[in-house]
Amino acid sequence: MSIQKQAYNALEAVVGSKYISDDPVICEGYRSGPGGYESGLGYERVMTKIPGAVIMPKTTEEVQQIVKICNRYKVPYVPYATGFYGPRSHCHVENELLIDLKRMNQFEIDEKHFYIVVGPGVIYSPIQQEAFNKGAYVVIGGGGAQASAIANLIGDGWSPLSHRIGLPHRRILGTELVLPDGELVKMGSLAHGDDPFWGEGPGPDLRGLLRGFTGLRGCLGIVTKMAIKTLPFQPEPLIPTGISPNTALALPQKRVKWVNYQMPSKAAQVKAMFEIGKAEIAGAVTKVPLFWRAIAKAECKEEFWEIWGKENEDTIKNFFIVRVLLIGYTSEEQMEYDENVLNDIMKELGGIPRPTKPSDESWLKNADSAGMWLMCGSYVSVDYIIESLSQATVHGEYYAELKRKYTPPLMPDYGDPGWFQSFELGHQGYSEFLVYWDQDEDTTGVDHFYLETSKMNIRERFYTSLLGPHQPLFLTGPKYGPNYHEWLLKVKNEFDPLWVCHPPVPLAHDDFVNRAEWMKPLKDWESPEKLPMPEWK
Amino acid sequence: MRIKNELAKIVGKDYVSESMEDRVKYSRDESLLPPGIPDAVVWPGSAEEVSKVVVWCNEKDIPVVPVSSKVHFYGCTIPKQGGIVVDLGRMNKILEIDTENRLARFEAGVTWEQLVEELEKKGLRPILPLLPPGNRSVLTDTLEREVSTNIVYDYGEPMQSAEVVWPTGEIFRCGSASVNGFPDSKSRGANPSGPGLDFYRFLQQAQGTMGIVTWISIKAENIPKIDKIFFAPVEDLAYAQDFLYRILPRRIGQECLLLNNVDFAAILSAKGFGDFDVLRAKLPPWTLILTISGLIRRPEEKIAYEEKFLNQVLTHEFQKMALTDNLPGFPGLGRLLMPMLRRPWPSNLPYWKSTVKGGFQNLFFITKPNQTPMFMEIMEMVASRYGYPIADIGSYIQPIEHNRACQVEFTFFYDPDDDVEKAFIGDLYIDAAKALMNEGAFFTRPYGKLASIIYDRAANYTMTLKRLKKVFDPKNIMNPGNLCF
Repeated sequence: MSIQKQAYNALEAVVGSKYISDDPVICEGYRSGPGGYESGLGYERVMTKIPGAVIMPKTTEEVQQIVKICNRYKVPYVPYATGFYGPRSHCHVENELLIDLKRMNQFEIDEKHFYIVVGPGVIYSPIQQEAFNKGAYVVIGGGGAQASAIANLIGDGWSPLSHRIGLPHRRILGTELVLPDGELVKMGSLAHGDDPFWGEGPGPDLRGLLRGFTGLRGCLGIVTKMAIKTLPFQPEPLIPTGISPNTALALPQKRVKWVNYQMPSKAAQVKAMFEIGKAEIAGAVTKVPLFWRAIAKAECKEEFWEIWGKENEDTIKNFFIVRVLLIGYTSEEQMEYDENVLNDIMKELGGIPRPTKPSDESWLKNADSAGMWLMCGSYVSVDYIIESLSQATVHGEYYAELKRKYTPPLMPDYGDPGWFQSFELGHQGYSEFLVYWDQDEDTTGVDHFYLETSKMNIRERFYTSLLGPHQPLFLTGPKYGPNYHEWLLKVKNEFDPLWVCHPPVPLAHDDFVNRAEWMKPLKDWESPEKLPMPEWK
Repeated sequence: MRIKNELAKIVGKDYVSESMEDRVKYSRDESLLPPGIPDAVVWPGSAEEVSKVVVWCNEKDIPVVPVSSKVHFYGCTIPKQGGIVVDLGRMNKILEIDTENRLARFEAGVTWEQLVEELEKKGLRPILPLLPPGNRSVLTDTLEREVSTNIVYDYGEPMQSAEVVWPTGEIFRCGSASVNGFPDSKSRGANPSGPGLDFYRFLQQAQGTMGIVTWISIKAENIPKIDKIFFAPVEDLAYAQDFLYRILPRRIGQECLLLNNVDFAAILSAKGFGDFDVLRAKLPPWTLILTISGLIRRPEEKIAYEEKFLNQVLTHEFQKMALTDNLPGFPGLGRLLMPMLRRPWPSNLPYWKSTVKGGFQNLFFITKPNQTPMFMEIMEMVASRYGYPIADIGSYIQPIEHNRACQVEFTFFYDPDDDVEKAFIGDLYIDAAKALMNEGAFFTRPYGKLASIIYDRAANYTMTLKRLKKVFDPKNIMNPGNLCF
């Protein structure tokens, strides 16, 4: 269970013996599972392996050398930052090298021009604080402040703050990518110089290789440096309060304020989001699942179930909240203007203000998703998709309906249609649907549900985040684009002809369905008898 | 005859031409680049016809040159290696305007004039570059990422989804329009990203080398209820930039730009506001133009808080910045310019840059605002080396997204009938570009002769682009001779 000796020696010469190990104890620490995300599912059991060795480079040059050695000795490898993304970002084949990028943890901020240059080992927590200190802010995605900023931005990169901060793709500036064969490509203004302030060009924009919508899970190279756009915030400090785990940021109420409104109907709830977007006000506009409120209130699993057990289909059906974050970017007067406009909209639509804490528990600094494990032990976001508000506000209902068939093993949530919100002042809408289960139970139903969502999205003509390496490529490929899978595989073959970079992604879910007996009854799409990639033992 | 007959089978005999007159028409543009004659011109009426033309060309190894606009400034539609010009002018339908989601979807041949007019009927507007020619294709300018005069971050990167005919002929939809059955779908095409890769990025700034985009959708914005325009004469560019660093991150303003006296005089004289030479002499070295707008709700309150903030900054921090609602000595300027900034340049008038001497050559790049005074000095040095009067060069600085960056554009005006002057301007243009590049100017759109200079300095980017191009266009039939292809 380790990589070949010659390769190991060559790798050791690059980083020194301190930063490479094939000690089974060390490698065991990189097993997929304990994180909770997608944990215990069939995909994790069938597709993930413990690494054959772990290496920790410090510089881009070291990453390049490592990747070139892997190509020379045909050693499969996977880039790894914080490992939040569960099984999909862990080793998938035997004797694989895990390249842990934590040591590349330097960052630098350009206050005047609103960007932060980060390495892949930099997590959100310090850069958000530094941004706050300089009058700016970033979006901390649902992965939380402990997630790698680069990994998050090439696979995710949103939160309710995206109402104003917008599509994550827009915030990726000058970037360094080590291609799967070890060649380095510098994008944007880094192509010509040392300052990464600008993202695209020269000419066609190679940032198209970085992510697709929800990322490539590292199968097209390793990002070693990225400049991330920040946005101007407001000048007042946000004061940390409370004692862990009940911490929060006290908000200066004349400059930052959450306001909750109870709406009389789903139609009014949706209309409010459209109108707030059209009025071009607020820093966030969102509707979250009701059980998140129970998560926030509960301090243990038992307490969660006590709170949640009081709900029923009717309370869920009649829960129409709109949660709005007001930010005085310009001045207190701008904040007042936003609040006046918001009140006008709510008055027209019958929205009733609800008591709201003068603090932020999550989205500004923490985006703490740790509570998601609380109820059952495992969870996954089966979809998290930016489209229009028209799609976003109905998408979850289809998920909820499909979910009934698979509950249990999925956690009963009384048909809650999930989370939706505005993006880019209502030019886009976002929907996310999360499911929970106990990994100690039979999870076959969860595996089936996950795959069936893909078929539901195809049938109902929804756009979905579960494309590329997140579902069987030969299932989704013909139905989106159409045939985006053919182009993706051609690009993969061009830049990674040996498929050493995180194999068998992007065909890992196809491979999983082929290998998991309990998935075979669901396979009703065409795919090659032998998947078009090298076999890894 | 053979080419014409074959293509006529695809588009119909009325929509293909091998006549010398048509071929010559497409052989040159407003740039300084030499002409190149195509073998034929086709005017397809649908993506399916485009696809069949491309497939036919691919089989025969014939270059394909896509054309969407009626006017071109950078030479990228000149058929440098012959081939078939595919003019998308017939594909000029606005396919939908979705007022709820504020998006517009339209074909490649739709012009700025057409789109502005149709959106206006629904209370919406596109975000425009500075006075684009009314008959330019909106799709082309959007794909080429023409920088807008509006600095509001939320309006930025307006492109959403797109349909492309790949160089091998497959019709493909990018982003959320990729769903099966679009537009008869729950997805409205509002997300540009995906599926699988961010294909739309490969098409941006590609000059038609990566495929033929047949339609796109973009974000549309509400038309404000109230607008106010301000001007400030600027002698000290660094001081003006400090002012913009102070106000733009605080989300003040909509349109915001700096024009030197040459460019501003050209605009005003072309609009009949006075004689070019008189205006140029009378205008300050630079003019800062700033608009603020009251939106669809409580417009007066929005104007009021922005004005209050501006007044505080002007009173306490930037007393030398004389920002008022009219430029001293130019009464009525605000009333003239405010509507102009929201519209393209009328196609029935000579384009404003053409009115100075007939021809013009733009040189533009991206930089940080605090570096603009240095780049002005570099341009002065290069121009003086050539004995070219700096007083004749148009200069335009466009702040981008809260002033985190800006585009600087220099315009050299010339007589298109004077070959000596054209050659001179061509040399000056290249030398100036090199000098600017040496000091960090970033040229994102490598046109014509600049391409080889830019790509020579970006070896790994160039190699990767070529590898990507090989995937999509293995025979290099799409607009060869441009970029690094």
